Amino acid sequence: MIKINNLHASVEIADGTKKEIIKGFNLEIKPGEVHAIMGPNGAGKSTLSYVLSGRDGYKVTSGSVDVDGIDLLALNPEERAAVGVFLAFQYPVEIPGVNMNVFLKAAVNAVRKQHGEEELDALGMLKLIKGKSRELGITDDMMSRAVNVGFSGGEKKRNEILQMAILEPKFCILDETDSGLDIDAMKVVAEGVNKLRDGERSFLVITHYQRLLDYIKPDVVHIMADGKIIKTGDAGLALELEEKGYGEFLGGEEGAV
Amino acid sequence: MSLRVLDRNALPTPKQEQWKYTNLQKALGEDLLKVRPQAPEQILVHKLAGEVSSEPDMVVWKGENGIHHQPRLKILLEDKAQATVIEHHQGAGSYWKNMGTEILLGAGAQLNYIRIQNESIDAVHTDMVHIDMNRDARLNFFSLNLGGKLMRHDVHTVINGSGAQCQLNGVNLLRGSQHCDTTILMEHVAPNSVSRQFYRSILDDSAHGVFQGKVHVHKEAKKTDGYQLANTILLSQGARMNTKPELEIYADDVKCSHGTTTGALDEEPLFYLRSRGLSEAQARLLLIQAFVDEVIDKINDETQSGQIKDLAEKWLKTQLEQK
Repeated sequence: MIKINNLHASVEIADGTKKEIIKGFNLEIKPGEVHAIMGPNGAGKSTLSYVLSGRDGYKVTSGSVDVDGIDLLALNPEERAAVGVFLAFQYPVEIPGVNMNVFLKAAVNAVRKQHGEEELDALGMLKLIKGKSRELGITDDMMSRAVNVGFSGGEKKRNEILQMAILEPKFCILDETDSGLDIDAMKVVAEGVNKLRDGERSFLVITHYQRLLDYIKPDVVHIMADGKIIKTGDAGLALELEEKGYGEFLGGEEGAV
Repeated sequence: MSLRVLDRNALPTPKQEQWKYTNLQKALGEDLLKVRPQAPEQILVHKLAGEVSSEPDMVVWKGENGIHHQPRLKILLEDKAQATVIEHHQGAGSYWKNMGTEILLGAGAQLNYIRIQNESIDAVHTDMVHIDMNRDARLNFFSLNLGGKLMRHDVHTVINGSGAQCQLNGVNLLRGSQHCDTTILMEHVAPNSVSRQFYRSILDDSAHGVFQGKVHVHKEAKKTDGYQLANTILLSQGARMNTKPELEIYADDVKCSHGTTTGALDEEPLFYLRSRGLSEAQARLLLIQAFVDEVIDKINDETQSGQIKDLAEKWLKTQLEQK
């Protein structure tokens, strides 16, 4: 499914110099698996999500990312979306003046077009959007507003999951989807994600806290620090981490926080 | 003031503050300065007290090569009259259209005034709009600037009656070496009145935009609520915008503010849309369209706003396809 091999990536900082954030990252996720990445602030978790989704300002200096035989790093963001990579943003972007329905239609049809499929007609689109938004408790009022404008923290995250449900990607990255959510909102989001687990679709769940993993059960848990994975285990690793804190795991690592 | 500042043809020079950014003499050049002025054409839109027009009044001003046009429009709404006036500016060839508009709104009168300026690309368009508003009058003014090589759009509003509400909205879409100057003076003379100015511009190539808006709150105009917003997106390195917002307040207990931004399209929403599969060109079009549509949506007539959105979309598609 997805294979990340010895990835190194830098970010360009204000004065034009480059700072290496991802320092030899390796990961393989098989179809249907849920992997969690936990790590302290500054470990490079969000940078990893941006590098995988193709955001400007990040430079891959070496390594490779392979999705079902496709060289992901050679693609621009929209092509990655069409390949089936989806990033649920930590901070979903507000887009004033762009209505939710207009946005979702444009996204669905853009991906279909890249797949060489015909655009979905108005009725098909309506059914698709209505059905998925109901499942996530997204009101008509939210759908009539501009994308993320005036949405609460929980509504913004639900909107990310809605887009995920509608676009049906094969590899989903959830970047701190639990941040800013109360326990009820987190449950709704987790349920939305769990519904999308179908044995084929893979997930990379980035989080600070074990809490989210009570609801989205991972197959594999990785601890990331200083730009790479320092320990891998099963769901029990997250519990152990919650108990002992990061210090225990980072102790022996060179350059760790 | 020495008469010398008026120079030849009695035109003011750029040295004078009001004309700081817009050199009319240079734009007119030798050819247009020599053309003989045509006798003013005049149109009067007059609604009697309480008259409510169901159909909009359409006014079309055409420009012809080699002519100095001097159209005059007067819109007079007596107390509680309601009307919509739609004005189109178009033409062919090289000409100078120097327009004068006078709007008088009686107590409780309501006017929707839509002005679509799509002059020939070789035309010079200057206009002066004078607006006088009485008690509880409402004005919703929308202006689209598309055409012309040089445009100067000067709006002077005097709010003389309490409770009046004045909205001035505009979209400027400029490319090539077009130059468009919007200068507004909003005078709150009576108390309890509201004014809104909302202007957005898209500038491409080496186009030059100017927005100078001033809200002047007189001593008696207590409880004035004035707001002014001017945003510009630059599509190229060569495009330029000068913005000069001003507040001049002599009354206590007023609420006045202004905001202005000029810059390239934000990267964050662009990436968000692309990460959902939209091509870069499609994402740009959607974002810029949304940006101008927010102003166009201030028009409270969906047929009209729809037509103007179509014009804007066509313009944007042409520009973005070149990138």
